[in-house]
Amino acid sequence: MKTLIACENVTKSFGLGSEKRNVLDGISVDIHQGEFVAVMGPSGSGKSTLLYALSGMDCVDSGKVVFDGADFSALKESELADLRRTKMGFVFQQPTLLRNLNILDNILLPSMRDGRKNGVQLTEKAKTFMEKTGIAGLEMRDITQASGGQLQRVGICRALMGDPKIIFGDEPTGALNSTSASEIMRLLADIHQSGVTILLVTHDVRVAAQTERVLFILDGKIAGEYLPDADDEARDDFKAREAGLTAWLTGMKF
Amino acid sequence: MYYRLLRNDMIKGKVITLTTMLFVAAAAMLVALAAILVINLSGAIDTLMTQAETPHFTQMHAGELDLARLEAFAVQNEAVAGFQAVEFLNMDGAQFLFAGGSLADSVQDNGFSVQNEKFDFLLDLAGNLITVSDGELYVPIAYIQDGTAQVGEMVSIAGRTFTIAGALRDSQMQPLLSSSKRFLVSQNDYDALRQFGSVEYLIEFRLHDLDDLGAFETDYTSAGLEANGPTLTYALFRMFNGLSDGLMIAVLLLVSALVIAIAFLCIRFTLLAKIEDDYREIGVMKAIGLRIEDIKKIYLTKYIAIAAAGSLLGYGLSFLFRDVLLANIRLYMGESDNTSLAPILGFVSVVLVFLAIVAYVNGVLGRFRKISPAEAVRYGMSQGKAGGARHFRLSINQLLDTNVFLGIKDVLARKSLYITMLAVLVLAAFIIIVPQNLHNTISSNSFITYMGVANSDLRIDIQQTDQIANKAVEIAEAMEKDQSISRFAVLTTKTFRVKLADGSQERIKIELGDHLVFPLAYTDGRAPAAENEIALSVLNANEMHKKVGDVITVIINGKETTLAVCGVYSDVTNGGKTAKAVFSDDSAEVMWSVITAELVDPSMVDEKIAEYANRFSFAKVSDIDEFIRQTYGGTIRAIGKASYGAIGIALALTMLITLLFMRMLIAKDRYTIAVMKAFGFTNTDIKAQYVARSVFVLVVGILLGTLLANTIGEILAGVVIASFGASSFKFVINPAFAYLLSPLLMAGVVLAATILGTLDAGQIQISENIKE
Ligand SMILES: Nc1ncnc2c1ncn2[C@@H]1O[C@H](COP(=O)(O)OP(=O)(O)OP(=O)(O)O)[C@@H](O)[C@H]1O
Ligand SMILES: [Mg+2]
Repeated sequence: MKTLIACENVTKSFGLGSEKRNVLDGISVDIHQGEFVAVMGPSGSGKSTLLYALSGMDCVDSGKVVFDGADFSALKESELADLRRTKMGFVFQQPTLLRNLNILDNILLPSMRDGRKNGVQLTEKAKTFMEKTGIAGLEMRDITQASGGQLQRVGICRALMGDPKIIFGDEPTGALNSTSASEIMRLLADIHQSGVTILLVTHDVRVAAQTERVLFILDGKIAGEYLPDADDEARDDFKAREAGLTAWLTGMKF
Repeated sequence: MYYRLLRNDMIKGKVITLTTMLFVAAAAMLVALAAILVINLSGAIDTLMTQAETPHFTQMHAGELDLARLEAFAVQNEAVAGFQAVEFLNMDGAQFLFAGGSLADSVQDNGFSVQNEKFDFLLDLAGNLITVSDGELYVPIAYIQDGTAQVGEMVSIAGRTFTIAGALRDSQMQPLLSSSKRFLVSQNDYDALRQFGSVEYLIEFRLHDLDDLGAFETDYTSAGLEANGPTLTYALFRMFNGLSDGLMIAVLLLVSALVIAIAFLCIRFTLLAKIEDDYREIGVMKAIGLRIEDIKKIYLTKYIAIAAAGSLLGYGLSFLFRDVLLANIRLYMGESDNTSLAPILGFVSVVLVFLAIVAYVNGVLGRFRKISPAEAVRYGMSQGKAGGARHFRLSINQLLDTNVFLGIKDVLARKSLYITMLAVLVLAAFIIIVPQNLHNTISSNSFITYMGVANSDLRIDIQQTDQIANKAVEIAEAMEKDQSISRFAVLTTKTFRVKLADGSQERIKIELGDHLVFPLAYTDGRAPAAENEIALSVLNANEMHKKVGDVITVIINGKETTLAVCGVYSDVTNGGKTAKAVFSDDSAEVMWSVITAELVDPSMVDEKIAEYANRFSFAKVSDIDEFIRQTYGGTIRAIGKASYGAIGIALALTMLITLLFMRMLIAKDRYTIAVMKAFGFTNTDIKAQYVARSVFVLVVGILLGTLLANTIGEILAGVVIASFGASSFKFVINPAFAYLLSPLLMAGVVLAATILGTLDAGQIQISENIKE
């Protein structure tokens, strides 16, 4: 399988002097094209920091991140931005939408930067995604006029607009109730089915159990890796997958 | 929590807090200075005019004087408290030769007089009546101040040697607008000088009660007494005395209004931005049951602190500058009686500024009422916020670059915030354009035509001589033959009787001749062209209650003739009460003649003046440009300087405020910027969005500013121009400046400030700012 992101011995620290702590402490991991990966770990273990490092939103102190053949450290700020816009999509825990724009415009925002002339097609595309994610009809609403679950779907639609190679999710279901959360997961699973790589930070065992690979982070290091698909018998049994992962996590003292 | 909110806010917004305070301080200082100046000026004028016992009514007269008749009139008129007819010995300016220069080019009528006995005293700089000894000369203060003459200097005038013993204050004639200047000598010296100049009379009255002045003026005119020259009154002297300093006060007040406006704008901007930031917290406070008054108090405290500090600082600063500004008043008019009142009034006006600011902040904080706790807690913003800009959608925008679109969208969505910046830009455009237009207008050649002076090169006055009519014809014939003169007009002034509605008669001076050769600017209507038409000066028209289209009855050649009023013009010459007509008349006596001429080559004007002055020694030949230069040159130059100063100030202000606004916006918009960066917008994109915001506001600002400058600005400038004596005018606009250079300058400054102010945008870390 082709490697999409190669991350080699990455460290990153915050603070100065005695306060200084390594939040990422020599992380090496490869994310392959088409994979569905979950990142788990206790609060403060460095999951979000890893996600920002892998997507080029934050620079690292040492080590190397290569995305689709391009070394982040060799890229300019604007080239990194171009990469994020054209090859990546993001869904955060909070909807991270702009207040001034209505729902449709929020979805269109990144793609319109270059594709303004194709506005009509892009709008059509956005509407298709909205339909798929079940929020058709909300196009003209302000972001204050939709529920949290709906706004999270808006975020997903926005992430999809650029036909990304990978979607990064930082606890996209974290702020949702379980019904909304499982609907969002189903959406992500569909997106994965269509060939998009997905990297998901999550606390939720049920969410992680649906992925192909679970990375467990502890104190800035990858403490272990679990492959839910490895157990052939449990492969298609949702409950069994969840139980397997839970058992493994307990072993990791989670 | 109150305290934390307050402190955090002050620390985070250090620069803008300080700037706001400085603007408040500047405003308080200017207002205090204006108040102090008003008090001192009016007090000083009163003191001067009381000490000098300024006449209530002065008729200047050149020619024969029937003293007995005047005395009889004074005795018989009950209103009169004092009367004197004093001499003023007019001498050619070239006779006054000082170390610092001669008065040969002076347009003033310089001359001598002796100290008066009854009233209208000439005072020394201590405000005392001057007693002058033989050989001593006292010089008008203006000539000492501008360095023309020096105290202690020896001068020789008409063969006699004088020592300049000091400067004198002349309550009647020292203002620039009054056209004569009196030098004081002893009676013996005066008698010796008398043969070298021409004598004019000042027929002066003091009345028991100043309220009777109007009636007295009518009495004097209808008695048909000596009146060959301007008539001046106490009110006019007061106005003349106050004019130049009054203008300074007006400018101070204008500037302070501007600075207050800017202080308000700064406050408004920071306050609105803060409310937007704290929306959720305010909602939470409301939700947990705090009263609006309590919440307001948190915010109000901060501005009370800023306003109080600024006001006190400003009041303190006013003490530093007051002496500089008072120097002129003190020199020309002396100390005022009510000086102790000045600091008190200054303080009161500063307190008013302070209260206005607090009231304003309180008003803006009224918005708290509209904050719904539910909305605030849930969304951190009010619903339907994008209101006005709803239809401005990205999805249907194909025209604008996406960054430009986002910039404009932001401005439209957060109008109330940007209106503040807009207001600053409008103000800046206004202060750049208006003084420039004003300067352009008053320095243009045609401006004098708004004041009753023809726009020509050469002016020849024939006065105080016999055979005026014949002499005028003689000059006209010479001009006819003169190849270097392209056109000329002879205008002759005569006195006529006018029959008023109540049957009484009044005398008016009518200038006869062809008024179309050098047309004046008419406030209303046009110049007389037909025999039965007459144009009136504004003062005359007001006094006779006539407007264009009305008729007046004038007695011409002994017959009552009805003339139609065809135009009204403003006039500063000959006391402002004049009229113009074209009918022919042989009956009335000619008072004076004026011949105006235009040269084929204007650069020859000096040569021509010399030529005509030589050939016609009875006439006074003058250069119109020189006349303007001397009468208004100082003011025109001052306004010119002020207009360049205004450009500098406006641009500096634009720079400062734009920079502050941009920095604050960047700080406020961290979250939005982080989101956009996360989704692939580059730093350049973000900057482009801010530039788009600025440019959008800038374009609207310049358009509005230019519009306002040419409407309200013209009216405001009219106040200044009216002080020159012109009651109506049109801006003379330099389009290259007003419509090209000034917008370019502003655009340059705004862009520079925006780029400087948004340098930080690149530093914003996505990971730190995206967590809301
Ligand atoms: N900008 C920062 N400055 C200083 N410390 C930071 C900063 N960002 C993160 N940290 C610290 O780095 C550590 C890792 O943070 P990170 O956000 O990656 O944790 P996380 O695993 O995502 O936790 P959570 O599950 O709670 O989201 C934490 O201890 C956090 O306090
Ligand atoms: Mg996290």
